[in-house]
Amino acid sequence: MSYLEILASILVGINVTIKVTLYAMLYAVPFAFFFGVAQYFTTGPMRLIVTSIIEFWRSSPVIVLIYGFYFSLPSLGVNLSAMTVGAMVLGLNIGGYGSQAVRAALQALDRGQVEAGYALGLRRLRILYLIELPQALAAMTPTFINQFIQLVKGTSLVSLVTLADMTFLAKAVSQIHYAPAKIYTALLLVYFLMCYPATIIGRMIERRVSRGREATHEF
Amino acid sequence: MNFSFEFAISILPRILSTFTTTLMVTIAGCIGAALLGFFWEILRRSSKFGRYLMRFLIDFVRSTPLLVQIYFFYFVLPEYGITLPALTVGVLALSLYYSGYLAEVFKGGIDSIPKGQFEAARALGLSRLQLIFLVIAPQMLRNVAAPTGNYFVSLLKATPYLAIIAVPEMLSIALEIASETFRYTEPMTVVGAIFLTLALCFSALVKMIETRLRLSPKAA
Repeated sequence: MSYLEILASILVGINVTIKVTLYAMLYAVPFAFFFGVAQYFTTGPMRLIVTSIIEFWRSSPVIVLIYGFYFSLPSLGVNLSAMTVGAMVLGLNIGGYGSQAVRAALQALDRGQVEAGYALGLRRLRILYLIELPQALAAMTPTFINQFIQLVKGTSLVSLVTLADMTFLAKAVSQIHYAPAKIYTALLLVYFLMCYPATIIGRMIERRVSRGREATHEF
Repeated sequence: MNFSFEFAISILPRILSTFTTTLMVTIAGCIGAALLGFFWEILRRSSKFGRYLMRFLIDFVRSTPLLVQIYFFYFVLPEYGITLPALTVGVLALSLYYSGYLAEVFKGGIDSIPKGQFEAARALGLSRLQLIFLVIAPQMLRNVAAPTGNYFVSLLKATPYLAIIAVPEMLSIALEIASETFRYTEPMTVVGAIFLTLALCFSALVKMIETRLRLSPKAA
């Protein structure tokens, strides 16, 4: 098998990889913002509840979560497709990491920002999305991009629950034609080409964000 | 089907019997990743060619999924006549994958060492190796303790990946029990709970070290 044939047969699965990534983002982004802000605002027992939900998704191994949810939900009477379960688990896991970026970025802001908002007569929630979130967004973007890369790489796990993504197809092809070196090299290259642009963009943004911060602390 | 606590408790000993494998893989992986990562970082700083080569290799390792890397080593190495036990392949893959991340962490740790330290070492006539191991490494370790600890925790959480290349560890035992009894909920919950507990304990430990380092005065 030539590299071109191998690439052609692997790339058939790229739409599944992209689909899982996009669906997972639908879970990850709202989860990150909602729980990040919730953790920032709450105190006492409420904060404990919020933190436990975040830690459940963030600190459990994704591979165990995927197997666990895919296989045990049907026995609890919930029937979801592999795509839904994969996207949900990956999304909430990445969302858990994202929520920490949101919280850290909000906490890093100067106290004076909130006080200035109050002084202007704004209510707390309006201060949050008119003053705090826009400023915090810059600080969380590099983490979000890194998490996006983790997500794209994480989608390879859905091959374990029978979804025909690129990894699944590569495995299938290597069972028919015995050429693992070529097939897995091609697969690694495809993932690299998908993630590397994000790495470069992330690095550029990170440099810009930190440069902006230096400037404000100059005087 | 409902969740049965008796069943969950009855399978606990069987799953925990491979607990030491998980622990050994984690420790070996952490040591391997730290040593490799430090080596990459030294190579990256040693020459211009090294810088470009290592930057590319580190980015490559970081931009490809761990799952695919494990498959790669497991299926491709035998083709070149290198047959290693699955456990070794797993530890190797974990070490390599996390060494890419740790190299970046170490880079930050070395970058934040004051320039005067390098100049002082040169003024004292220290050799390159002495500079690396007597001056840079100890100061870098202090800067990188917290992020390195976090990557160690994430390495711990990545050990169940070894189940896919049939290393007998906690997840593979759980899947085995599940396919024998057709009950998935309990084994998966047990494994998930064990890993969650472990990860949270280690994260707490890392946080403790982080606070202690921040409180103790920095060497002038």
